[in-house]
Formats: sequence, C-alpha cells, structure tokens
Amino acid sequence: MLKRPTLLWLLIPYVLFLFLLPLVDRVRPTVLGVPFLFFWVFLATLLTPAAVYLAWRGDRKRGRV
Amino acid sequence: MNATVATTVFAVFMVGTVGLGLLAVRGRGGGGGLAEWSVGGRSLGTVFIWVLMAGEGYTSFSYLGAAGWGYNHGAPVLYVIAYMSCGYAIGYVVGPVLWAYARRHGLVSITDMVAHRYNRPWLGTLVAVLATVCLLPYIQLQITGMGVVVSTISYGAISLNWAYFIAFAVTTGFVVVSGLRGSAWVSVLKDVLVIGTLGFLAIYVPLHYFDGYGPFLDRLVAQKPEWLTFTGHGGSGLGGGWFVTTSFLNSLTVVIFPTTVAGYLGARNADALRRNAMLLPFYNVLLFVPMLLGMAAIFVVPGLTGAGSNLALFKLVVDSLPAWAVGLIGVAAALSSIVPMAVFMLVIGTMWGKSVLGVMPRLAGRPDRQKLGAQVVVVVAGALALVLTYTAPNTLVRLSLISYEGMAQLVPMVLLGLLWRKLSLWGALSGLVVGGALVCALVFTEHDPVWGVNAGALALVPNVLVALLVSWLGPEPRPADLARPDEEVLARDPGPDEAVVSAGV
Repeated sequence: MLKRPTLLWLLIPYVLFLFLLPLVDRVRPTVLGVPFLFFWVFLATLLTPAAVYLAWRGDRKRGRV
Repeated sequence: MNATVATTVFAVFMVGTVGLGLLAVRGRGGGGGLAEWSVGGRSLGTVFIWVLMAGEGYTSFSYLGAAGWGYNHGAPVLYVIAYMSCGYAIGYVVGPVLWAYARRHGLVSITDMVAHRYNRPWLGTLVAVLATVCLLPYIQLQITGMGVVVSTISYGAISLNWAYFIAFAVTTGFVVVSGLRGSAWVSVLKDVLVIGTLGFLAIYVPLHYFDGYGPFLDRLVAQKPEWLTFTGHGGSGLGGGWFVTTSFLNSLTVVIFPTTVAGYLGARNADALRRNAMLLPFYNVLLFVPMLLGMAAIFVVPGLTGAGSNLALFKLVVDSLPAWAVGLIGVAAALSSIVPMAVFMLVIGTMWGKSVLGVMPRLAGRPDRQKLGAQVVVVVAGALALVLTYTAPNTLVRLSLISYEGMAQLVPMVLLGLLWRKLSLWGALSGLVVGGALVCALVFTEHDPVWGVNAGALALVPNVLVALLVSWLGPEPRPADLARPDEEVLARDPGPDEAVVSAGV
C-alpha cells in the first residue's frame, strides 16, 4: 500500500456513497428534476470507474502493472 | 394469441441458450480436467470477463427485487448500487491477488485457497459445506424468480411449476457440459438483451405513462417524497446507518464471494482483471432502470403488496407493450436468472469436486475424476434446490436471510489470512464460528437490522477481534506449518508481466 499510494483512489467510491451520505440524503435541490439523493448516487456511479482509472494510471506510471 | 407469440419467442431463445452454452466448448474435447471446466482453463480475456461478471451481478433480483424495493421503500434499494460499485473498485486490488495465488498453486475455488493457505484439507471441506448452505438459497431464488417472470410474460400459459422446471433444465442443460466457458458465452446473449431491453424501457415507460421524465420526476417529488430519502417509505427501518453498514459489508463480501472468485480465476492474466475493474462499474448504471420503473409503478399500478410488488416492472411491461416485446423482455429477465444460477451451481460443483470429494483417496490428484464428481454435484445441487422449491419453499427462504451476512464472516479467514501470516488456523476458525453464530442468532430472532446496523457487519467485529486474540494467545502453529515459506502461504499482487509458474492444473 505504501509503495502504491495511488491505490487510495479506490476509497473514493466509499467516500462518495457512504461517508458523504448524511450530507446528500435529501430531496431538494433537484438537479434537472432528479431528486438530490438519486442524482448524487448516479454521479457517484459514474465517478467510480474514473477513480479506478486513476489508480490504474498511477500503477502504470510506476511500472507496477 | 398473445400467449402464443410471447411463449414462442421465449421457447426459441431458451433452445438457443442451451445451444450457445454447448457451442462454447466445441472442439475442446473432454480434456483439461477440473480447471478447464471450473475456471475456463484460466483463459478468458477482458471482454469475456466483463461479460461474465456483469452477467453474474445482474440477477433476477435486479428485475424483480430492485423494482419491488423501489416500489415499496424507494431509497434503501440504492444499497445495491453502492456496494457493487465499492466492491468492483476494490476488486482492482483483490482480483489480481487471488488470481495469482490460485494460478501459482493450481487452485480452482475459494475453499481450495483456504485449504492451501492453512495447510489443512479438512478446512476446505468445512468451508465448502458452509458455503453450499449459503449458496443453495440463491439457486432457489433464481428458480422462483424465473418462474414468476415466465409465468407472467407467457400471460399464464406456462404454469409456475413448469416454469421452475424450465429454469432448472435449461441451466443444467449447458453448465454440466461446458462449465464457466459456457456461462460466459450465454452471458453475451444475456448482456445484449438486458442492455437493449432496459435501455428501451428507460425511455419508453416515462414517455408512455407520464409524457416524459420531467412530468414523471415532478410528480414523484411532489407526491412521494418519503420514497426519495432514507429511511424510505413503509417503516422499513432501513435508515442511513443500515445503508452504510450493509453497503460496506457487502462490498467486502462480494470480492470473495465464490461466484465472483470463479470469474477472477477464469481470467487469462491479471491485467484483464484490472481493466475489468474499470469497466464493470459502468454496468451499475443499468440498475437504476428497474428501480425507477418500480417507482413509476407506484402511480400506474398502485396497491401491489407482498410478492406482487416484485412484479411491479412486469405489470408495466405486459400492460403497455405488444406480445413479442413482452416475450423478449421476459427472455432477458429469464437469462438474468439462468446465468447466475449456472455459476452458482458450477461453484458448488467445483467446491465439492476439489475440496470435499477431492480429499478422498480415490479422487485425490485426479482432476478428471474430480471433474466428473463436480458435474454430478451440479445436477444434485440444482435438483435439490428445485425439489425444495416445490416441497418446502420456506426452508430456503429462511436460509437466504443469512446467505450474504454468513458469507461475509469468511472475509477475515480469506482476505486477512492471505495477506497476514500471523493469522493462525485456530484464530481464523474461532472468528468464523463466533461471527457465524452471532449472525444466525440475530437474524433468526428477527434482530436484523439491529440498532439500525446490518447484523452481519456487527458480527464481523467480534469475528475479527476473536480471530486476532486467538492468533496471539492461542496454540502455536505446527512446526511443519512454520517451515513453509511466505511465498507458499501468502498471496501478493502479481505485478507487471510476472512469469507465473503454473502448477500444471
């Protein structure tokens, strides 16, 4: 883990889905009509692969994978 | 007329499914033993791994349960998306580690890995039996799920009992012969149909019933706000604390779940798994569709209760679409039962073939005989689930309550054990016993969630504490175990292009 600090990107989905839940558990403001909680979870779903990509890119740069 | 059209579409695709599954092993003969059948000869590339693992993850629950939860409760159903996303992300690390370990030592399942790690064949046997108890209910859930779908989309022409049997027959029809490779091929057909039909429904249903997303969402926000935040509608008791603990626990469990591991082990190389970890989370977007349609059904078909609410999505489909389209959507849903069921049965067969029957002297070191044993177990396990569906459906429903939370108690033994040498056999085993007993006690006395927290997550705490305590204070390992080098015992990341020496299995 210490040799691969970019693996910390993999914690991003945990932060988005779980850690931030108390802040996003609300109906308003709606985004394009979508209730806020559902908008947030959708956003987090799309950002998860991006976070994994960043971890992978970090490994690539270090020649780890 | 409707019934004939939909049933014909369904029948054609079911025959096609068995054909496709069998075609997967054409020209490969019967060679290769257990590893060829169980993990596809460890030869699947990024695309097949993606298709297979997406196919496993998107089960009949996605069509029925997700829509039903959306209909009954609303927001709590989001835990499915949360745990799958988190689990797929950490699969980036865990997948290659497990893959390399299994490849280096010629292992084919999670029970096999445990037996190797702790150097005790009987531990593999024990875990195989426990895991089978946890997995059998899933087979039944797929059988009953497919049953209600088929009976609904055939407009009642196919009875529930026949539909259950078709689920069993089609799945067994290909998986016994073609194993993981056949499941991957059938997954291709499944994913094309699932993506196509759900994409269509996501656009069509709001337009047909509400004049588009704007009016649908406005109405939802204005009239049904309790569905849109925790704890959701209907006094479910499923609040934010439950959501966070359940998603966290399940995200750890899904990476060591025997079916997920079967997918990992099927990979050609570690990089296929890393790429898969980037691509797989996109599939979760599709899970929003049944949830959304479940909530649309609140307005269109109000008053569904109990098991009826699971059909929230299909009520809309049958109500608004022509018979051929109903048949096609039914096929997609049926395949969402068949593919996971095939992998569940395959995994049970593999665990028994290698870790239960394989420890008997007559089968030890004979992959060909182990494969035959595994194939027999597949049929027996499927038949058992089918018979129990007919005769004692509630037995397995009760067991299914502990399935995921029970499997979660294996996380310390497997994950911690493979990474940390000091975790002893008796430590891991004591933790498992304590955690497992606590899950059973809480769930069967209907204390789940307990204090607003997932009972399995709560049980994991004493599980880990006991495991650590017994490892420190408990009996010393045998000299023979102490003498094993770390490379033999522990798993580690395979790194770039490592020349992995296969154990020839």
